[in-house]
Amino acid sequence: MSSANDQLPSDSSSDEPTRADLSRTPECVSTSLELHAEVFASGLNGALSRLPVVESQQLPLALKMTLCPGWKPHRLRIPTFGFTFPDGLEFIPKTEDADDAEELKRILPPKRPKPADGKDGKKKKATRLKPPEDALSLEDRLFYVLQPPLESWLAGQELIMPFEPFPFQYEGIAWLFAQKAGLLADEMGLGKTMQAITAMRLLLRSGQARRILLICPKPLIPNWQREFKLWAEELPITTVEGDAARRRMLWTMPGVPILLANYELMARDFDGMPEEEQPRFDLVVLDEAQRIKNRESRTAQVSRSISRRRSWALTGTPIENRPEELASLFEFLEVVPPRGTPDLRQLSRLADDYILRRTKDLVMSDLPPRLDRDEYLELTPAQKYSYVTAEKEGIVRLNDMGDTISIQHVFELVLRLKQITNVDPLTGESAKLDRLAAEMEEITESGKKAILFSQWTRTLDWLRDELKKRLPQCGTLIYHGGVPSKKREPILKKFKEDPNSNLLLMSYGTGAVGLNLQFSSYVFLFDRWWNPAVEDQAINRAHRIGQENPVIVTKYISKDTIEERIDLVLQQKRELFAAILGDGDNTNESLSLTASEIFGLFDLKARAGKGTKSIGPDDPTEEKQAA
Amino acid sequence: MSGEATKDKLRLGFLTAFEVPQRGFVGGLLVTNHFGRPLEFQCTTPVQPNRTQQILYGPTLVPFIQTELIGKTLVDKVGVKPDLILTDSRQLLDLREHIAIPVACLDDADSPVAGSSDDSQPAEESLAEDAAATSTIGIGRHTLRFHSAHRSDAQVIAAKSHLIPDGADLLEPFERVREALNEAIGTGAKR
Repeated sequence: MSSANDQLPSDSSSDEPTRADLSRTPECVSTSLELHAEVFASGLNGALSRLPVVESQQLPLALKMTLCPGWKPHRLRIPTFGFTFPDGLEFIPKTEDADDAEELKRILPPKRPKPADGKDGKKKKATRLKPPEDALSLEDRLFYVLQPPLESWLAGQELIMPFEPFPFQYEGIAWLFAQKAGLLADEMGLGKTMQAITAMRLLLRSGQARRILLICPKPLIPNWQREFKLWAEELPITTVEGDAARRRMLWTMPGVPILLANYELMARDFDGMPEEEQPRFDLVVLDEAQRIKNRESRTAQVSRSISRRRSWALTGTPIENRPEELASLFEFLEVVPPRGTPDLRQLSRLADDYILRRTKDLVMSDLPPRLDRDEYLELTPAQKYSYVTAEKEGIVRLNDMGDTISIQHVFELVLRLKQITNVDPLTGESAKLDRLAAEMEEITESGKKAILFSQWTRTLDWLRDELKKRLPQCGTLIYHGGVPSKKREPILKKFKEDPNSNLLLMSYGTGAVGLNLQFSSYVFLFDRWWNPAVEDQAINRAHRIGQENPVIVTKYISKDTIEERIDLVLQQKRELFAAILGDGDNTNESLSLTASEIFGLFDLKARAGKGTKSIGPDDPTEEKQAA
Repeated sequence: MSGEATKDKLRLGFLTAFEVPQRGFVGGLLVTNHFGRPLEFQCTTPVQPNRTQQILYGPTLVPFIQTELIGKTLVDKVGVKPDLILTDSRQLLDLREHIAIPVACLDDADSPVAGSSDDSQPAEESLAEDAAATSTIGIGRHTLRFHSAHRSDAQVIAAKSHLIPDGADLLEPFERVREALNEAIGTGAKR
């Protein structure tokens, strides 16, 4: 087939088409497009050729559209999940009484309100509560997730804090809050007390606890009372004391948020109480929890028997000589079965989950330094004469004893010699006193404060009298087991607040544990304890959180005496343990002198079977006279 | 909490809603006292719009889901009714059209405060229009923007705003809600 284009001039660009060209009819060629198809004889062929029937139908005009897909918005029912947080304690609203309101109003402005942002303008890190590992239900987990950061919770808005905690303390509070079983084992001086009080306070405030029992050694009861007043003034503390009838009433009295009791009373009272009458607690806290290291002891057994939902333990010395001591603590925490004996690997795993321990080296980079200086003093002539005489006679006597010699005999000689290094019993001369008086004169003039520790209360009494004579301008206070319990608190208060009280004389037994004396810049160890860990505890009364100045620790060591030899042995032991345990963990009872080491002080050999027995006075934390 | 007097109490509701990839939209409402201590929490399961809704709602789909579906459901559901609902998104301000509780958006949450200039702001929401159409009040370091049709809300809340501490971080509770939502839906997806 040819197209019209084929008929057009080939060179149309050169010549315009003429009218004649345009009027000429194009030539058309027809081609048949008919298709030929053969139809098979199927019997239906007739239908193919039949014309369709067409009919007409009359319809009314459609006024509404019928083909209109409809969709109407409808509100879906969305499944929700929610819960209400438990109420805080009932006694909190009741503080709106006139007197209480006045009291609360008075303390409202925090002494050091926490700024929202850091000094450098950067937003401070917020410490959030994390759900504990054993919280499985969504509600339990969200309870922790939805709590405000501790920094804002404790920012002096709803809960007043007298001082802003350190970041590691916030972490400790958050950790304790979330633990149903927890052992806070921070090194001494890092604020275990404050962290525990604040965590308890938050538990009460958030309705997680309504009844808490805190058990501590008896000498520390006033300390806990004071710390509660400082860190949680709104919380009423009830101390279990008085005669049996009164104590029974106190144990079961309803509406008491915090009960404070000492170990002895707790063990005695629960022992004699029928099981059905024993009180139940939301939380039981053991302070100085090393007291239950012996799982067979009555105290440990009674502690474990107390009905409770949460168990916390506080101690600065969680791991000591034997693994089973730690197992006893874990048994109280109910993370090992009764009589369970976890091996070292299991203990290590349990420690990861249930122990929080920080050391000063790790967290307190901003704590002022502790400056140790060992002062080696020459004995006065009279002291030297007395000392040499006593030592010679003593050694001769020990040698004469032969096989009847006991550790007690050696120990008596050590004590005798140590006393002479303090003061000559015949003349009253004392090189240590001379040095102390000179140093205290300077400290008094500068308005600073000092603490002095001695092993003997008699030495402390003598020092007070001597200093009164020699240095009347130096206000000297005394605090030891011989001071009645009721008089102890006023003494500490006076030492803290009275600018004329410059020196506090303390015994290791009563003053070494639990007291906060961080306003003191000087610590004197007039004589040495048997265990440097105890000395460290004493020093840490001053070198602890809140201390703003370097703490100068002076240890008096009399030259060429038993003190020098004891110091050498203790130093070697401290270095040995530091090498084994690492991380500055020197708070170990094994640092105490053993029998063989005591014998060795006089070149004597320990008798059979006594080589590894630890000797020395009782643990000062258990000082009976204080109890 | 029912025993708390309302005269000197101000319950705050912190409402947020966001989309979790592959899961849909979720929302949470945390009711706290004026110090930020939690009183009640409600959250939704993920809401996944279908294709029809996506087509028909077009750009209004997300506001519809977040406001009418999630926001209103949560407010209806919560037992401890807040005195003020704070949101971190201006879209959620429209929730006020569906409930009888004042709703305010934290202006520093996702948009500039009134008076500042920001080219990224949509033209139809010019600052001049905003200033005329909405009411704002300052609480501490935050600026609260109320719905233009409910300007009296600002006065109501301003009368109680002294209960909120000046240093309060009103954005912080939204982090808690988001974390709780992520915990609830079992995903670590971040907004």
